[in-house]
Amino acid sequence: MQESPIHTQLAQQLWEARIQASPCEPLSNTASTLTIPDAYSISDINMRRRVAQGAVRLVGKKIGLTSLAVQKQLQVLEPDFGYLTSDMQFADEAILPISTLIAPKVEGEVAFVLKKELRGPGVDRAAVLAATDYLLPVIEIIDSRVRDWKIKIVDTIADNASSAAYILGKERHAIKELDFALAGMALFLNGEVASTGVAMACLGHPADAVAWLANTMARFGQSLLPGEIILSGAFGPVVPVFEGDHVLVKISGLGKVECRFSGGNS
Amino acid sequence: MSSKLAKAETLYRAIQSRKAIPRLTAEEDFSIAVGYEIQEELLKLQAGQVVGLKMGMTSKAKMLQMKIDAPIFGVLTKEMLIANRAQYSLSQLIHPRIEPEIAFLTKRELSGNPSGEEALAACESVAAALEVIDSRYEDFSFTLADVVADNCSAAGFVIGAWHPISVPVDNLGMVLKVNGSPVQFGSSAALLGDPVLSLVELVKLLAKQGKSLPAGSIVLAGAATAAVPLNIGDHVAVEVEKLGTAEIYAC
Repeated sequence: MQESPIHTQLAQQLWEARIQASPCEPLSNTASTLTIPDAYSISDINMRRRVAQGAVRLVGKKIGLTSLAVQKQLQVLEPDFGYLTSDMQFADEAILPISTLIAPKVEGEVAFVLKKELRGPGVDRAAVLAATDYLLPVIEIIDSRVRDWKIKIVDTIADNASSAAYILGKERHAIKELDFALAGMALFLNGEVASTGVAMACLGHPADAVAWLANTMARFGQSLLPGEIILSGAFGPVVPVFEGDHVLVKISGLGKVECRFSGGNS
Repeated sequence: MSSKLAKAETLYRAIQSRKAIPRLTAEEDFSIAVGYEIQEELLKLQAGQVVGLKMGMTSKAKMLQMKIDAPIFGVLTKEMLIANRAQYSLSQLIHPRIEPEIAFLTKRELSGNPSGEEALAACESVAAALEVIDSRYEDFSFTLADVVADNCSAAGFVIGAWHPISVPVDNLGMVLKVNGSPVQFGSSAALLGDPVLSLVELVKLLAKQGKSLPAGSIVLAGAATAAVPLNIGDHVAVEVEKLGTAEIYAC
């Protein structure tokens, strides 16, 4: 993926939108010929800029567009990915400053924490399970730096797969404890159930999504490394959140994770 | 102005003739309470053997859509019960749809305002289930009172293997498959946050009518996802975490 002036310019546009919590216009409007490799180049530029100062570390990746419904909506046939950095990570029961976000939404899913390297091609479900140390329940906060979520596939990929933050649960579970494809997900917004789903809704099996990522990274000559945190994709529909909202996600067999959104700056 | 019996007869004729009718409230508005009285008259006309009850409007989305704050219920009869994995003829139905459910079987009478724990303790077992719904109204277009009168669109139901209540049932993953392809995903939490709370709501609704839920009742606690159309030739299965499957072959 070659970096070009247009990539740098569009990366800057997304960077400013995120820092100022003020949305920009869709990249696909200004650069109508933008390709998916271009979009990943833009995402890469901002990830490298984010970790360049040294205070922020790259800790893993997130997989997006893992539901057939969302793929259909964006007219794509495969998932996408973004980067997780240490400043995006929050602990269970954290309070998140909503003023740093533009139009946030939450989704319930799991994190695979790896204990072995996963190097594609040819990574399959069994290889992912064998390389996984443990799973955690996760709330992912997605946010589009593009105004009103008017995204095409290249907009969301360039925008770090619309990822903003994630909250990790505390309980660690080995994946073999579970009949995992049928694990239920329930997301409660202010005490009322707002979204439900099941592991299978994530590309048939969340481990298959991780296998897709490992095989995709191989095309860029990269692998997934021990200790990496991989968010495998939502188990159910996303839910918009606003100031003061409390979110609780339960994953069958994995316990729960929760967070609250405050107003004000922090 | 037609009587409750006349309205029930109109619904009964729709079932018998397999011909959808305009919603009854289009002619004359009536309350949900009257809807339940029409439902009773309809059940008398059908002369079925009552085996349990079904909950409707148990998802927050449906309650908001219909602007209600409590679910509704209908009656299940032995005639509606379809054996698991059986062939099921659609020839008597108007425009059937199917939805994934959780079923309870009670072992003790439940009345008044039980806690979730009390309701669960009164259950013998739990199972994966499918419900076939078939509104007698054109285009499934109705008010809440209409759908109550129409026995909450009840048409048929399938119960998978019964399981003792030894595991939590509040968040069981559920997948609805049509001809092997997953078409709907959800969790038992879609039923008011926990299907046991749906059972509690049913007992409270019955208490308002001076009734209780008898021991030995089958209760369909509500749909975990949107319903999908059921067509001739479809093999429909629901897979529920820890509870196995309920299946039907539509013919």
